Amino acid sequence: MPIPPSRKKKQDKDADLIRAINSGRHELFHELVTKYQQNLYNFGFRMCGNVQDTEDIVQDTFLNVFRYLKDFRYETKFKNWMYRIATSTCIKKRRRSKYAPDKELSLDDFIPKDPSNIPRDMPNWATLPLDKVLNDELASHIKEAILALPDKYRVVIVLRDVEGFSTEEAAQILNLTPSNIKVRLHRARLYVREQLKDYFDDDK
Amino acid sequence: MTSECQDHKACLEMFEKLSEYLDHELDNLTCADIEKHAGECISCKVCLETLKRTIEVCKHMEFRTVPASFTARLKDAIGNIPQPDGVQGPGRK
Repeated sequence: MPIPPSRKKKQDKDADLIRAINSGRHELFHELVTKYQQNLYNFGFRMCGNVQDTEDIVQDTFLNVFRYLKDFRYETKFKNWMYRIATSTCIKKRRRSKYAPDKELSLDDFIPKDPSNIPRDMPNWATLPLDKVLNDELASHIKEAILALPDKYRVVIVLRDVEGFSTEEAAQILNLTPSNIKVRLHRARLYVREQLKDYFDDDK
Repeated sequence: MTSECQDHKACLEMFEKLSEYLDHELDNLTCADIEKHAGECISCKVCLETLKRTIEVCKHMEFRTVPASFTARLKDAIGNIPQPDGVQGPGRK
């Protein structure tokens, strides 16, 4: 799977709206809320896993976006800038409550040491059509697996694989290098894969 | 990674790069090496396919609709943003 031809840098579709709001048409802020509340709601829910915290995260994010919108410099996409605020709101929220400890995941943790754990057959769950694998129970299992990840890994897998941001965008949102994003993403995926493997093994 | 696989080093090298491979972030030469190795080593092929399926499952996570009651509360909260220094908030829509 080689690197596809590079895509042209896209114009930020929100730039005109932001300029209008910053020029004094504050009532247009509601358009931003309408446009992004669904995205932020799902992002918040995937990051914290409960409705009350999700609602707080969405509301605090929009309040902060409005507060700091004047400082937006148009050097990045508005959406990425907004997710940066949302991410920091989520992390603060989670620090105030319980959840997974912020431990490191090592690549070694995912390399099978015991020869009996080395896979010799392709499992069905990896080859069946996706719609035959997805169901409510699996959805709940994957949600729990992602929530069990330490913050620094969870936020990367949510931004990259669930929200669909590129490596560069995720790096911009989290103020990390693209290499850092790749390392964290790989470990987060391996962790979730282990949970999926256990889920399907138990199902046998 | 596997006792049957003669080239354990190649297994580990591939294991480190699986995500970048699946994300199209590697050069042609490295991709060709990975594909060749995966064709010869069943455990690495399983690693690759299960990781690929994990990503697909993540991409299809449940999408929740925002409850109407929350949309209304959010609209109120934004309409009530304090207006320091005479700056007008968004007001109510």
